[in-house]
Amino acid sequence: MIAGPGPRSRSSRIPQWVALGVLALFLAGAPSVVDSFTLSQILTKALWLGIAAASLIFLSSYGGMISLGQTGIYAVAGFTMANLVHAEGGKNLGWDPVAATAAGIVVATAFGLLCGAIASRSYGIYFLMITLAISVIVFYFFAQVTTLSGYGGIRSVTPPAVIGNPVLNPLPLYYTALVASILVYVGIRYLARTPFGIALQGIRDDPARMQALGYNVALHRALAFGVGAFIASIAGILSVWYTTQVSPGGVNVAQTINILIIAVVGGLYRLEGAWIGALVFSLIDNYSRVWLPNVGDWLGPERFETVIGVIFLVIVLASPGGLVGIWESVWARRNRAMRGPVEGSGTVADVVDEAVEPHAVQSRR
Amino acid sequence: MSSQFDLRIVPRLVLALAGAAVVAWIAYKGLQDGRIFWIVTLNGITLAALFFVVSAGFTLIFGLMRVVNMAHGSLYLLAGYIAFTIQTNNYGVSSNLLSGSPATVTSWIVPLVIATGVIGVVGVVMQQVFLRWNQGQDLRQALITIAISVILADQMVAHFGGIAESIQQPAAWPDSVQLFGVRYGFFRLVVVVGAAVAIGALLFLVIKRTRFGMIIRAGVDDRAMVSALGVNIQLVFAGAFFIGALLAGLAGALGGTMIAVQPGNDSAFLLDSLIVVIIGGMGSLGGAAIGSVALGLVNSYADVYLKFGTTDLTNYAILLTFVLVVAMLAVRPLGLFGRPA
Amino acid sequence: MLRPERNVGFLRLLATAVLGLLAVAACNSTTPSTTTTSTVIKIGILSDCLGDFGSFFNDDLGGALAVLAAHYGGKASGPLPKDGMTGAVIAGKQINIVGFGCSDSTASKAIEETRRLVEQLGADIMIGPLSGDEGIAVANYAKTNQPNKTFLNGISGAQDATLKVQAPNFFRFNPDGAQWSSGLGAYAYNKLGWRTAAVIGDDYAFPYTSLAGFIAEFCAVGGNVTQRVWPPLGTTDYSSFVAQLNPTTYDGLFVGVGGAGLITFLKQYQQVNGSLKTQHIMGNTFWPDPQLLHAIGTPMVGAVAASGIAADDTSAQTTAYKNELAIYPATQKDAASVFTLGYWSAMTALGLALTAVNGDISGNQKALQTQLAKTVVDGPYGKISLDSNRQAVFDNWIVQITAPATSGGDPGIHTILRIPNVDQTFGGFFSPTTPAPDRTNPTCTKKTPPPWVGNEVPVTFGP
Repeated sequence: MIAGPGPRSRSSRIPQWVALGVLALFLAGAPSVVDSFTLSQILTKALWLGIAAASLIFLSSYGGMISLGQTGIYAVAGFTMANLVHAEGGKNLGWDPVAATAAGIVVATAFGLLCGAIASRSYGIYFLMITLAISVIVFYFFAQVTTLSGYGGIRSVTPPAVIGNPVLNPLPLYYTALVASILVYVGIRYLARTPFGIALQGIRDDPARMQALGYNVALHRALAFGVGAFIASIAGILSVWYTTQVSPGGVNVAQTINILIIAVVGGLYRLEGAWIGALVFSLIDNYSRVWLPNVGDWLGPERFETVIGVIFLVIVLASPGGLVGIWESVWARRNRAMRGPVEGSGTVADVVDEAVEPHAVQSRR
Repeated sequence: MSSQFDLRIVPRLVLALAGAAVVAWIAYKGLQDGRIFWIVTLNGITLAALFFVVSAGFTLIFGLMRVVNMAHGSLYLLAGYIAFTIQTNNYGVSSNLLSGSPATVTSWIVPLVIATGVIGVVGVVMQQVFLRWNQGQDLRQALITIAISVILADQMVAHFGGIAESIQQPAAWPDSVQLFGVRYGFFRLVVVVGAAVAIGALLFLVIKRTRFGMIIRAGVDDRAMVSALGVNIQLVFAGAFFIGALLAGLAGALGGTMIAVQPGNDSAFLLDSLIVVIIGGMGSLGGAAIGSVALGLVNSYADVYLKFGTTDLTNYAILLTFVLVVAMLAVRPLGLFGRPA
Repeated sequence: MLRPERNVGFLRLLATAVLGLLAVAACNSTTPSTTTTSTVIKIGILSDCLGDFGSFFNDDLGGALAVLAAHYGGKASGPLPKDGMTGAVIAGKQINIVGFGCSDSTASKAIEETRRLVEQLGADIMIGPLSGDEGIAVANYAKTNQPNKTFLNGISGAQDATLKVQAPNFFRFNPDGAQWSSGLGAYAYNKLGWRTAAVIGDDYAFPYTSLAGFIAEFCAVGGNVTQRVWPPLGTTDYSSFVAQLNPTTYDGLFVGVGGAGLITFLKQYQQVNGSLKTQHIMGNTFWPDPQLLHAIGTPMVGAVAASGIAADDTSAQTTAYKNELAIYPATQKDAASVFTLGYWSAMTALGLALTAVNGDISGNQKALQTQLAKTVVDGPYGKISLDSNRQAVFDNWIVQITAPATSGGDPGIHTILRIPNVDQTFGGFFSPTTPAPDRTNPTCTKKTPPPWVGNEVPVTFGP
């Protein structure tokens, strides 16, 4: 299962954090390059969607668990926060928005831990279905308990003073989402190197062996799910500030599938893929309404779902590593062409495949 | 030592008590108003029949090929639209329903047969093009079928619109029948339930008594061995997928006549199929039957009997269904009759 | 685990990708003009092209654009309304339709599309949205975030959008759901002799409002609503709800189930209860819609419903309206649809107001908004004016479903009563402080009946 060292890139000496820092600076300067609509409707949206997808990719990439429950969890966070602050509809309890944010995250994470405990003994397809059921339950819960969901949504949710009104001034929310994204990314990377993270990856690769080694597999998976829930709840809070409202219609099965699509398109086993996928999704969502030509009934500005579905299908068929995986294999092929075959490694496809779906490769053996 | 209290008995006791309480409550309500009880029970049974037809296909495909066909609901809906289109365009049946529709037995059966067949073919094509070469990667196949369902759902809205349509039953058939002093819809009670029973019997015979069925049973148990024994496993898979899709198509035409054909039915019936096979166990037809009855009855009773005094909880009926599913998955993930991979 | 050298590769990729995409976005983003150019007025039209009401998309757009073609020189860019329109000029100002918003009857999508049209494409004036929940959300958005732009409702009918939100720049020239049910409560009590009634409606904002109109009036004149059944979101099978409705326990049933579910519900109700006794069943504004009447059929003959549209009216007014829609033949066929009428009314009002202020949208559009509040639309089915809350006051119609003119055809509609000057508050029954209509509100109380009870005007149109 361990392939050779793999193609080395020339700039392997540049420390990772420098590259990340440059990127962060660049994104910080984005507001002066793009107009406020793109900033808000494309970039900010991509940032919080990316965090939601990152929670899914964290679980799939490091934990081997593909979860469809992230939307349900971020709905819990969003609705909790919206009910606690001043808003139209819902409980309207008038809490301080910052305290309400913390409460929302805590409640959603606790809910995630509970769900994780329930789902921790299931694998593969069964895990997928339990998590789908969780999202569906949350959707129907908020759709039916109208005192908590405000009869069609809780509107004009008050964000913290530092955010202000995201529609009139999108900058503070953009920076908040950017900082949150960076923290999430760095945090996950850090977590992956801790004993917990390494144990989790071991469980991803071979749960039976880890159990034999004395690790409590179910506990680790449940905790991992809780971490994923924490990340998803951040995305949920940001989404409510972004749309200024939260409603059951925004967290239905379609949205669950959208998050999955974003994660897969970006790269289900690459953390960066979360934001790449989210950016592609936001761009297509917005510009397809303008650019899509009318081809009878098959294609037209309203057929965004068809377009994104086709892209999703192509990615799943051609490159399980998503867009990031495509780039990686292209880059690797280029390096290999320059250097000739590297000793000890298999073909590029093997290298890529091993990285993108280690579990599947194992099960094929 | 042997007097130690076995903790595992606690959840089972709780479950048994809860079950008893539910039965008692329904019996109490049923005795209060027999007419409603009968209608609701018949609702549950007729729904169960429809669920059985659609999930039998789903469970067959999963049991044999480990493919969770998330596009199963889309196949169901597409069949409904095809049957409706043929009935309206080729036979000129007007959707003037409730009025003793001018549909004849021919103009109902033919669209049904064609739609079922077309969906069967669509299913096989889908399997050959998208699923044949990546067998074993069940998560990837789930993602592929999700993508297909997203595309199909959008295209169906584009081509057929968002308004609900209804397939007309033959005018010669009565609208309703009398049963135990209660009037009930003829099509639901006789045709759908009859079809489900017939299909159940047919599938049972095929699976238990034919060579093809024997291969399928063996394949569910041990795919590699069956292949090693020289059976053309790819042909068997294609055949099984064809049957599975055929069942989805038939259910779609029946459901379109019994209820309606409208967007949203695809995800609704997919979720229903998932629930049925989760309860009954993947790959088990008997499990699908039991799961269908369970789901149909729970749905129907909860919609009406979740009322305690003045507290009306019937709007949460759908929540109850999913909570039960999660509980089942947590407690017995393989379902009642399922087997591990 | 990912190796360090691959990490850098990814980050490089990430940087390149983001750079590239940002460049694309920057090149393609248009800076919306915050200052209005003096010769162009930008209008955005928002409707549903997906979801339950997606099939009405072209009817909605057609209603609005037909006004521009008929009165202001607009030229259609294609056979369908969604192909666009150019060349319209109102009061000397060029009308630029910046885009059509495509929503799916959810509030979040409606807000996204409104923001795209207003913030990205720079619309000065918005027409829309379509569904109840969307209307409340857009009205809130207008009030909080865009006070200097003008929003005219499309056909959204949730009461709160004007009664509670009270946005000074949101104008609704169509009635809300409750207004559309006016006249039915009194008719059921006085003419059909109902003393008790059951109601059934889908579990979301618009049916709550629609049924509230019936309940308020029926209870005010002395009736009693004994049962309220609310099939939840996404119900496709109404059999359980039909089971709960036992006709021997009430005098009549008021059906507020909409669109998709109505067919299924009526079919199943008939199967369980025998024939549909049309003296004991009544429908809301969904029933007389041509697309749905096509599906209902002859067993409904005799049933009474309410409508903002007197479809058999053949007066000059109505004929003129239908002729205006001629530019889009498919829309003209659906002239009796409330969706078409709603969007038509909005654009007509806008045209009148803009003409009166000479196309002046400077100064935060205050002149236009003041003028709009006074605008009276002389519609095909009566005059539409606005109350102090910028909500329409209009004439409602009670209609009866009649046998098809030709065998095998669709049933017809016979208008029997005109309900004059229906306002949103039902004569004080509804106010900003009364609880919003929901599963249990309004409660059934006997009160002073609304002003139009007892003042209904019998009408007969045509042969």
